[in-house]
Amino acid sequence: MVTPGRSTLTVKLFRDLWRLRGQAVAIALVIAAGVGTMVMAVGLIGSLEATRNAYYDRYRFADVFAPLVRAPETLMAQVRLIPGVATAESRITTRATLDVPQVAEPVTARVHSLPLARAESLNQMVLRAGRLPDPRHPEEVVANAAFVKAAGIVIGDRVRAVLYGKQVELRLVGSVLSPEYVYVLTAGQIFPDDRRSAILWMGREPLAAALDLNQAFNDVLVRLAPGARPGEVERQLDLLLAPYGGVGAYSREQQISDRFVRDEVDQLSTMAKLLPPIFLLVAAFLLNIVLARLVDTEREVIGLLKAFGFPVRGILLHYVQLAVLLSLGGLVLGIALGAWLGRGMAGIYQRFFTFPFLEFRIDTNAYLLAVAATLIPVVLGAATAVWRSARLSPADAMRPEAPADYSSRAAGWLAGALGPDEPSRIIMRGLLRRPLRSALTVLGLAAATMLYVASASPTASIRRMIDLGFDLADRSDLTVTFAEPRDARALHELERIPGVLHVQPFRAVGARLHARHHEVRETLAGVAPGAGLWRLIDIEGRPASTAPAGAVLAGRTAHQLGVGVGDSITAAVTEGARPTLQLQVAAVLDSPFGSAASLDRTGLNRLLREGDTLSGAYLQVDAAALPRLYARLTDSPMVAGISSRRAMLRTMNETIEQNFAIQTVFYVGLAMLVVIGVVYNSARISLSERARDLASLRVLGFRRSEVAFILLGEQALLVLLALPPGIWAGIELWRFLIGQFSTELFTIPFEIDPRVLARGVLIVAAAAAGTAFLIRRRVDQLDLVRALKTRE
Amino acid sequence: MGPTAAARALAPPVYRVEGLTKTYGTGANAVQALRGVDLVAQAGAMIVLLGPSGSGKSTLLNILGGLDHATAGHAWFHDRDVTAFDDDALTEYRRRSVGFVFQFYNLVASLTARENIALITEISDHPMDPAAALALVGLETRLDHFPAQLSGGEQQRVAIARAIAKRPEVLLCDEPTGALDSHTGTRVLAALDQVNRELGTTVFVITHNAVIADVADEVLLFGDGRITGRRHNARRAAPLALTW
Repeated sequence: MVTPGRSTLTVKLFRDLWRLRGQAVAIALVIAAGVGTMVMAVGLIGSLEATRNAYYDRYRFADVFAPLVRAPETLMAQVRLIPGVATAESRITTRATLDVPQVAEPVTARVHSLPLARAESLNQMVLRAGRLPDPRHPEEVVANAAFVKAAGIVIGDRVRAVLYGKQVELRLVGSVLSPEYVYVLTAGQIFPDDRRSAILWMGREPLAAALDLNQAFNDVLVRLAPGARPGEVERQLDLLLAPYGGVGAYSREQQISDRFVRDEVDQLSTMAKLLPPIFLLVAAFLLNIVLARLVDTEREVIGLLKAFGFPVRGILLHYVQLAVLLSLGGLVLGIALGAWLGRGMAGIYQRFFTFPFLEFRIDTNAYLLAVAATLIPVVLGAATAVWRSARLSPADAMRPEAPADYSSRAAGWLAGALGPDEPSRIIMRGLLRRPLRSALTVLGLAAATMLYVASASPTASIRRMIDLGFDLADRSDLTVTFAEPRDARALHELERIPGVLHVQPFRAVGARLHARHHEVRETLAGVAPGAGLWRLIDIEGRPASTAPAGAVLAGRTAHQLGVGVGDSITAAVTEGARPTLQLQVAAVLDSPFGSAASLDRTGLNRLLREGDTLSGAYLQVDAAALPRLYARLTDSPMVAGISSRRAMLRTMNETIEQNFAIQTVFYVGLAMLVVIGVVYNSARISLSERARDLASLRVLGFRRSEVAFILLGEQALLVLLALPPGIWAGIELWRFLIGQFSTELFTIPFEIDPRVLARGVLIVAAAAAGTAFLIRRRVDQLDLVRALKTRE
Repeated sequence: MGPTAAARALAPPVYRVEGLTKTYGTGANAVQALRGVDLVAQAGAMIVLLGPSGSGKSTLLNILGGLDHATAGHAWFHDRDVTAFDDDALTEYRRRSVGFVFQFYNLVASLTARENIALITEISDHPMDPAAALALVGLETRLDHFPAQLSGGEQQRVAIARAIAKRPEVLLCDEPTGALDSHTGTRVLAALDQVNRELGTTVFVITHNAVIADVADEVLLFGDGRITGRRHNARRAAPLALTW
């Protein structure tokens, strides 16, 4: 069918598009922010999951892990018989301290025996540089690539190590990646410290010799048969390994590296669900007001088209087409932006998560989602704007609209009351006449403020978390962890080392905590009473103490177990004599991180039916004696790990500065885009509506600045109105996100930095002022004569 | 010439215009809106500019009122050449010396009649009280009405009150009755007549309606960008007696 009007309408479509280009750009920026964050987050989720799955699969990452003390190799035959086990492998795992010349502090290492060089062996490694150790050379090791890089060692370097109390010299022959260590985190840390923690793999025979585990093992890896239930396999493993000191099998979901990757994906999902809708709703609202204004000015054209016999449908379609065209730029820009940001974020992830490859890919679903998420609100926003005018009868539509009536709502209670002068009254009445538009504009600006406040707040909270953990709770210089629990003599031995000023022992023992049908694998900590080098604190930083009887439970653990103060929990200890303890919850403490359940150390010793036993100690030392002290501790056969509080603090602060700075820049940009989009459109529409008024005022002798005050004062007032709810919403959003981001390992403290709020205000105000400057030029260029000659 | 007309002829001129030219566009698209206009306007006179649309009367008024720039020639307001003013000087000139009335009233819809006038009196040096200005145009009972609640004629009288409230020396009216019927139009003219007589304001009225010319002291006939004729009315007609 030939419709003669169609092509002419198309011409109008493109002319309108060109005329609205300024506003189109502003809207496109907001849409781009929404689509960009969505494409980035959805793309990253897909890329991370695909990469992880491919990595785990190709390098045969185990499904179930079962550490134990010692079992003969012959037991593996029984392990393989457990229903659901597809492949099972034994290995030897231990801890070591390394003396790396390039690193001032001792390096704590986890050491594994090399997987067998077979296609079906589990937890295979990706060789990054060098070669794998030669079984004929017992001193050869490979290390995780992140450590090799961070510590600045090179292949061929020799490193002194204390391996299970024995001094050995190791030689680095290669650097590797492992699916087991995508994220390397040692106990007590919140970020990886690649310089001071290493993962080593060496030949099984030398390791067995050092640990006295010939023809034996202390670690089992299991890959499940398809459809097998991990819980059942774990139970069977526990039964089988209990006599051999099994400390409890656990599945991949509880494996720390995998848990971090999953937490990251969860956080990305939260972001993908939260941010894009904000931007896209703001964009839909902007399109709605732009089109509503356009339709207002084209009322007569619409009437004319209808008088000529155009159907309502065709007119609606015309404006919806315009809206879609207006948003297409943003969609394309957003996809490009998302791809670019995604690639950048993938680069940042590569610093934390060591995948052999992390290719940022956007799959078709992400594109479809972006298109749907953009076009649905856009079309709805456009249709609602046009619907009223499209339905008018041609005669009504062609009749000019009566002058805006400000009498009903405004006059009665507002006349004189609002604003000290007439220009202020013009502003106030203008805003009140279109309460919905004003409210939505305020909401849009508040959303931008909220976005900034919520996204700039993590730094303050994480800094607070570090303060709590590494300043208020831990005030030691060094933490020393023993390879095995020791008696009081070890304490005295530490005290006698020159340079050691103070020693505070601790006891830590692995356990499975039960309450009703809930179970968590956690550490029971025995804390020395009093405020020494390490103390219990709550999330507010207030010191707390252990109860003489009963356990102080971390809030997140209490939540997981579904228990409160006075309830009783069962702790099945997985070490030593493996007693099962009944513990009463004496208190629930919201601490940022640390052990799940804390008891008085002597109380815990008693419960474990052991003497004065410790697992390690916090030390206060003379800084001048540190180098000698490090050498002494590294060489000590009883010490399996040494960490320096200051070194950890330094690493954490570096991590925050490097990574959060980038993110903050990113969110500042997003918030500014929204402000620019909202203020620009709001001011342009206001200018279009008020052009005659403003031109009249100019004719009547008002100066440019006085006229600009009316237009921009309105925008300033809207910004001012948006700031308090925006800040409030930002604070509340951060409170909500803390709940989402806190994991089983950490509780992020709620902390708001007043400087973040001030910066949020400045950023929003600066973006609004910059936009106002652009609009101001248009006010200056008002054509006085033409504005007055035309009928409204 | 009556005694008052004679007195006015002796009054100093408000405007002196010499060779005023205005060309819009350039080259082949150039349109000559004014082709050399000379004029002397005495203070306190009521002057009607009569001519068909496109004859150049609005262009002259826009230049006299400081809304537009001349291409050539001079227009002195007392001893100051308006054509030499920069934008800031033009704004100050409009603010202090000139009042405007337009065909489409141009009231601020969100302000009441009184507030529309206060808008101007707030930025003037010796303004009238807004209520007094409205009383002068017979709208003392419509002070707190919004434009939407007023008829077209009432809106135009508010526009006149707004224009004169700052006591300008000249009042420039471009087709003030153009959008009004005869009955309402005469009331608007009566208001202008009253302002001219009582406040001594020099009033310029643009119209293409020949009947209106009778209310003037002096009628300037426009055609094709020039003044094609001048006429002095010995007696000004009473506005309310007119019909068209």
